[in-house]
Parts: sequence; structure tokens; C-alpha cells
Amino acid sequence: MGILTVLWEKWVEFRRDFYKITVAAMISPLMYLIIFGMGIQTTSHGEPYLHFLIPGIVSMATMTGSFSAVAQNMSVQRLYEKALDQVMVSPTPLWQFILGQIIGGSIRGLYAGGIILLLTIPIRTDLIFNGMSVFIMFLNGTVFSTIALVLSFLAKSYTDAPRYTAYIITPMSFLCNTFFSTEQIPNGFRQAIGLLPLSQTSSMIRAIANDQQPDYIGFLILGIYLVVFGTISVVFIYKKKNL
Amino acid sequence: MIEIKNLTKAFGDFTAVDNLSLTINTGEFFGLLGPNGAGKTTTISMMSTVLLPTAGEILVDGVPLSRKASAEKRKLSVITQEYSMRQDMTMKEVMEYQGRLYYMPMKEIRKKSADLLEFAGLTEFTNRTVRHLSGGMKRKLMICRALLIDPEILLLDEPTAGMDALSRRQMWNLLRQVNDRHMTIVLTTHYIEEAQALCERVALVNRGKLQKLDTPDNLIKELGTFAVDETSDDGLKSKYFHTRDEAIAYLQTAGSNASFRTTTLEDVFVECAGRKIINN
Repeated sequence: MGILTVLWEKWVEFRRDFYKITVAAMISPLMYLIIFGMGIQTTSHGEPYLHFLIPGIVSMATMTGSFSAVAQNMSVQRLYEKALDQVMVSPTPLWQFILGQIIGGSIRGLYAGGIILLLTIPIRTDLIFNGMSVFIMFLNGTVFSTIALVLSFLAKSYTDAPRYTAYIITPMSFLCNTFFSTEQIPNGFRQAIGLLPLSQTSSMIRAIANDQQPDYIGFLILGIYLVVFGTISVVFIYKKKNL
Repeated sequence: MIEIKNLTKAFGDFTAVDNLSLTINTGEFFGLLGPNGAGKTTTISMMSTVLLPTAGEILVDGVPLSRKASAEKRKLSVITQEYSMRQDMTMKEVMEYQGRLYYMPMKEIRKKSADLLEFAGLTEFTNRTVRHLSGGMKRKLMICRALLIDPEILLLDEPTAGMDALSRRQMWNLLRQVNDRHMTIVLTTHYIEEAQALCERVALVNRGKLQKLDTPDNLIKELGTFAVDETSDDGLKSKYFHTRDEAIAYLQTAGSNASFRTTTLEDVFVECAGRKIINN
């Protein structure tokens, strides 16, 4: 029930800011597709570069969509509007509030990724996106929603949310198997990047897109992120002395 | 009944609430008064579980209040000092969100919201977002939101701050009405006349510590029911007397800049808080 309340609140926000949310979700990925995929026409492993790029861009859009939906919203609610107080004092179990935020954030991520998929339909790449791809996109969204929750509980001011994006989301966007294969990256650094959630999502979605079997270890890694950050956010909301 | 037992809240080296203990009876209109920084808002924040105590506990009907205590939190509603609402929601949505958080049926949310907003004179603004409301309207909306769920305990942190005199009087009447329905009300306010007009008992706190706890009448009696104000180069000074005769006798010996009046709760507050500040 509490989960539905949070989803309703997210729906109210989405309905009101539909155009802003949609345009914001489209601009960066679209630019990347046009500049790297169409402007600079290259090939990768004998395939058009777009075939490599689109799964990466979809993964990235899922990440940024879910992260920003939760991080900005929660930081403002907690530190500026103080609207989180309304939730804290209510009988709604706080774990349900957290779960609602995670699901709501993932749906927003899925929406952002879905827009990119729609935009790439006219390109006719023959890439495959199926139910499993959607599930991976959703899972990726849950991971970044929980990371956003933890960071928004740590934020000291609401201007911290854009900083987190600059410190975490932007580097991941470029490094994690999105625009280029990590094969050329030096040992050690490559393995470390490989453990990041976006690298796993990009790899799995790309494998499915190219009609290959995804490496199922990716689910395990994403699952570990989800459990760890989900647990931390639940602990924070119940135990943090000064919310 | 609310029992506050040895409640302490520290922020680093600063202790905002220091070993506070008091009991608020069911159905009581209780005031928490003190100067700025006395720890009133921190106490209310702990009662609403937004802050967790460093030590001590709060019991609601004998059950410790915590963030997990959904049944106890169901009894509580809070009006914070700040406008703690989603700024981009309409009034209608703010009310619906509150109702949903308290598991109210939609039909009831709509009916009660309409009634409360009409009572507060806000009906024509229901589709306006909070961001576009005046301070007084936001305050009224917060009160409507708090009353929507029929709480057993209403925590009010400066509820009439920013309201004009007429709205404040309307608010007093509303609070009296809900208190008559046996709702426990805990009020913090800077308007001492508000506490005197509304509260059955008041606690005076300063630097997080309880200074005095009694009915307004008893606190006034303790200080002296009659006052003589003297204006000199040092400013206004008041002297307090237990009988009218004592006060009048003093007035006759005082200069022409002296005047006689009855003591108010504000005098008790100023004496208590002022003395502590000077001593510290």
C-alpha cells in the first residue's frame, strides 16, 4: 500500500513535468547517437559503430533516468522542502517508502531507455531488444535508484545532487562499456571498471542485441549492488539520527 | 498520554535538549515555550521521529515511539515550523498524499479534504500549487493536512507564524474546537498570549532544560499576579507583587514613569528566559 502511495506521488510528478522529463531524457543520448553514431561514421569489430553504441546508450539512459529521478527528488524533499518529514511521521512503513522510490526510479529509467529504443527504430539496425533486455534495464534502474537514495541521505545540501552526478554518473557514462569496448583499457583498471553496474548492464544488453547469450554473472553483480545499497538506504531511514 | 523521559538530543558538542522529562495527559492542550534555540523544535522533531534522541525516550500510551512504531505514529499528526510540503503539488494533491500515507479510503479523503479546505477558506485555490500560495495559505493548508487524518495527538510547531491577526484568531478557535473533541495538542509558539489563551499547562524550557511546568495561572501566581512597570534610562523594568495593595503601595513610591497592570504569562516567560540568559 505504501509502495502504491510513493508510485502515485511519482506519477503526479511525471504527469506534471512530462515534457521536461521526456526532453531531458532524450537530449544527451540523442546527441551521442547523432555525433558518435551518425556524424563520425565508423565501424567496430567489423560492424557499424551504431550497433555497438545503441545498447550502451540505452543502458546509460536507464542509469541517468533512474538516478536523477530519485537523487534530485529526494535531496530536495529532504533538505529543501522538508516534505520527507510528512512521510517520516506517517504510519506508512519506511521500508515500503524506500521500495516505492526504487521501483518508481526504475520505471523512470525504463522510460528514458524506452525513448531511446523508440528513437532508434527508424535506423533499422536489426538489434534485438526483448523481454530480457527490458528486465535488465529495470534491474539497472533499481541499482541506480538505490545508489541515488543512499547519496541523497548523505547529502548535506540539495546542491549536492548535481555534484554526485558529476562525480559518479558522468565518469560511468563514458567508461563503462558505453561508447567503447573496455578491452583496450590496461589490466587492473579494466577489471575494476568491469565490476561497475553500468558495465554489466551494457554488456548484457549488447549481448542480447547481437543475439548472443549474456554473461549471467552480470545479474549477480547487479543483484549484489541492489542488496548492498538497498540495505544501506533502509538502515539509513530507520537508524540515521538526523534525517 | 505522552511521556517524555530523560530526553536528550546532542548535535556534536551542542546539546539542544538536555534530559527533558514531562508528561502530557490525554486530551490536554499543552504548551512548550522558550526563547529561540531553547530546544522546542528539536523536541517536536523527536516526537515526530524525524530526529532520533541521543538518550531517553518518548512513550505514546505506554509504547516507545520509534520510526517502526506505525500504530503509534497513526495517532500523531504534526505541523512543522517550516512548510514541509511538496512545493510542486496542488493543494488537492497535498491532501490526497497525506490521506494515502495514512491509508484513508479515497472517498473519505475527497470528502474530508473538501470540508477542511472550505472551512479554511481555501476552496477556490485547490488546484493551485503550494509554490504559488502565500505564507498564510500554506500555513492553513498544513493545518488542514494535519487534521485530515483525525489524529489523537496534534503536534504544532509555531502553527500561526506568519498569519495575520484575524487568521490567527480563527486558528485559535479551530484548535479549541479540536481540543474539545479530546484531541491532545502540543503547541510551541513565540506568541505567549497564544499559549496563555489556549494551553491548560505550559512547560518553560531554556537551553534544552525544563525550567518550569504548571498551568499559566499558577505560573503567574508564583511570580506575582500584579506588576508595576517602571521606565528609566536603563529601559523598562517590571516588579511583581502577590497582592494589589503591595503593588499600589510600591506604585505610590515610584516615579511618574511607573504604571500598574496585571501580570501575564509573557512576564513569566521574560523573567524565566531573561534571567537564564543573563546568568549564562
